[in-house]
Amino acid sequence: MPQTPQSLEALKLPHRLNPEGQPILAPHTTEQIAQITRHANANNLTLQICGAGTKVGWTSPLSADLQLDTTSLTGVQSHSWQDLTATVSAGTPWATMQQALSQHHQQVALDPLWPTRATVGGIIATNDSGTLRLKYGSLRDLIIGMTIVLADGTIAKSGGKVVKNVAGYDLHKLMTGAFGTLGIIADVTFRLHPIPSHTLALTITSPTSENLGKLLLTILNSQLSTQALQLRATPGSYALDIQLATLPQALTLQSATLEALAIHSGLTAPWQPAPANIFANRQHLLDQPNGTILKATMLPSAIAQASTEIVNSGGTAVTQATGIMSARFNSEFQTPSPALTALVKAAGNGSITLLRKPDRTPQPASTLAQTIKSKFDPNHILNPGHFPGGL
Amino acid sequence: MLDLALLDTLRSTLDADFPHLPSGLITATNQLQTYECDGLTNMRAIPGAVVLPRTTAQVQAIIRLCHQHRIPFVARGAGTGLSGGALPALGGIVISFARMNRILEIDIANQRVVVEPGVINSHVTDAVADHGYFYAPDPSSQSVCTIGGNVAENAGGAHCLKYGFTTTHVLALDVVLPNGDLVTFGSSAPDAPGYDLAGVFVGSEGTLGVATRITLRIVKRPETVQVLLAAFDSTTTAAQAVSDVIAAGMLPAALEMMDRLSAQASEAAVHPNYPVCEALLLIELDGPVAEVNTQMAEATSICKHNGAWEVRLAQTAQERGLIWKGRKAAFAAMGRISPNYIVQDGVIPRTALPVVLAAMTKMAAEVQLRVANVFHAGDGNLHPMVLYDQAIPGQEDIALDLSYRILHLCVDHGGSITGEHGVGKEKQQAMGYMFTEPDLDTMQLVRHAFDPHNLANPDKLFPRPRLCAEKPGPYTPHPLETAGVAEFF
Repeated sequence: MPQTPQSLEALKLPHRLNPEGQPILAPHTTEQIAQITRHANANNLTLQICGAGTKVGWTSPLSADLQLDTTSLTGVQSHSWQDLTATVSAGTPWATMQQALSQHHQQVALDPLWPTRATVGGIIATNDSGTLRLKYGSLRDLIIGMTIVLADGTIAKSGGKVVKNVAGYDLHKLMTGAFGTLGIIADVTFRLHPIPSHTLALTITSPTSENLGKLLLTILNSQLSTQALQLRATPGSYALDIQLATLPQALTLQSATLEALAIHSGLTAPWQPAPANIFANRQHLLDQPNGTILKATMLPSAIAQASTEIVNSGGTAVTQATGIMSARFNSEFQTPSPALTALVKAAGNGSITLLRKPDRTPQPASTLAQTIKSKFDPNHILNPGHFPGGL
Repeated sequence: MLDLALLDTLRSTLDADFPHLPSGLITATNQLQTYECDGLTNMRAIPGAVVLPRTTAQVQAIIRLCHQHRIPFVARGAGTGLSGGALPALGGIVISFARMNRILEIDIANQRVVVEPGVINSHVTDAVADHGYFYAPDPSSQSVCTIGGNVAENAGGAHCLKYGFTTTHVLALDVVLPNGDLVTFGSSAPDAPGYDLAGVFVGSEGTLGVATRITLRIVKRPETVQVLLAAFDSTTTAAQAVSDVIAAGMLPAALEMMDRLSAQASEAAVHPNYPVCEALLLIELDGPVAEVNTQMAEATSICKHNGAWEVRLAQTAQERGLIWKGRKAAFAAMGRISPNYIVQDGVIPRTALPVVLAAMTKMAAEVQLRVANVFHAGDGNLHPMVLYDQAIPGQEDIALDLSYRILHLCVDHGGSITGEHGVGKEKQQAMGYMFTEPDLDTMQLVRHAFDPHNLANPDKLFPRPRLCAEKPGPYTPHPLETAGVAEFF
């Protein structure tokens, strides 16, 4: 039952019209989100929750009765820089937040996709992460508190505004990566890190992946101040990119160490200054239109072999040393090769997800996941069908 | 009491496969008393039975029985917890993991270790130290406490500002749910599909099930470690030095502060040669030598700039060890200056430290008690120790009341009632002060999804309505019990 602008007006629900003249609910406050979900829940109307919509294609949503746009919930509510914490409204674009935090040379130490457009809430709902995860961890390690709105309009907080806190269940961890199927994120409190004063990015290339994979493991096993490390795979050429973050005097010493480690791994080419924006390579790969995009996860020791497997199947890939691979194939109908599937499965029970063409018949969600969903959202009104397993 | 047929079933479940090993079932009252409390010794309850499984299959069988007969169960590691998390449910079953203590896999290349829950925290580091690695979470009890207990409490330690808490280091868990089902949360590879149930499970204090196999991340040992000791005339100037260190872009491995009373007690107990001062700051930096040398020089000058009148850099590993020994002995050292004490575990935004300490001093003076403070200054975790004398009638109640009011004070300043000890039994009422009813109701949704019959560590973590005429505070024995005439079951 689609809602008309008139009916929303009557209910005093904040909204605007999209280019097609359809009403889109656009709350400005947490209380307004609650008002909307209460109304939807009471009338059995399904809600599609969206931030900037940068990752809309990653799931296979069912059509919803109402659209809820979070991008009017913006702003850094507080930045307690001496405590290394900040509270941010969920609709704030990631880069806007980082800009504000950088006044005190601080950051949320995560480099997600499309930061100028993607919202804080959307990034959390999809549990995105980038190259910095190697050093600073994922969102699970950076979020210390959250305000959420449940389907029935309940406003609940978990965690708090202090870095160390073990009181109660970490509902914010349940919300991270839940694709908006358990509740709507209204605001979030992050722990912050100082922005490193000096960094150095270097690249080394090789015609095969094997020795680069060996070097990657050697670097992980070293005491280098590695902030980012990724292996790029293209037909006929592989490259390992590293970003070091420490003081200038240590950077000089560590560059020399890197030379020695490369020779030890059997590499003949020297390290070169890394191409500009090389750590945005994943985003460039995903920006290309058409084709198949997949995300594969694995242990670091499997990265080289998985990279070769992608190239042998006609694709290109970039894999973080954490074991998260983004791969692209020109073909629209590429499916992961059985060899790749077996490889990542054996490497720490990894998995493969098709991002641009979500699997329409995924593994069903576990009984426990289904129970949690039905406790949080008994009428299944929040982002129906968004979650892997059909929740 | 548990019925005899059930005890027989438990016995055969535990002992049939291991006929030549000691029994896995304890029912004798004198033996059960060993398990009547954990590190929070003023609350006690005798369980109906204690089981010591050796395998995950046995844990499953035990919990299936509990589910079938609606018997509450409480998992127990080393029993070092300070909030009563392993306090037995009266007449229920305690599942001790003392016999599931094997390190199952070590994968240095991928920086993973797989353990059973009964493995002692420091044994993980011991197992990988030769490869230059360590397991980062380091609660003060790390030489005896177990990984299973650390997972339940999301244990921290002095180094978690830089390295993170237990949750940062747990990648995957095999969990027996309260209905006996065995499930896996997370994976050794990142980003397991589905809800982050590993994230929810870590720190759930045994209320969502029991972990039987845990995959941990280990960390490369830094090239060098340096520790600086600085003496200040006030906690306010010491706190400002900490803020300036943070503002300079450093992320120390540890930042600890002790007030005069704590430092005095530690000095008396282990003689770390601490200067006598109002606030003692301990700054540990680690990383590449060139980086640490430069940053330590900067930290030293920041301390001096803020009025530190003695700044001492530990020159040897031995000196460093002694400084830490003094800090880690702080709780136990209170015995040197007070017959009894209560350790609390509040958290505040560090910027609120001067005002919170002033308020705390005032509150203590009002009831004529002393409070000593040890502070993880980097992350805001405050351990006030309320000193009292049990021999003085009524003073324990006053001390307990003060310790709970201090927690409220922490919440009033935007903090938390627990940074690392957990809520357990001790602080369940304080949960109602920190969280609203909708917050707690939402957390209960998770609880009910996992454990609809409330069997896993029941009556912990969540506040409960006080019964009529129920006396607040710790367990007090009945006079007949004290006289040895009756026992409390």
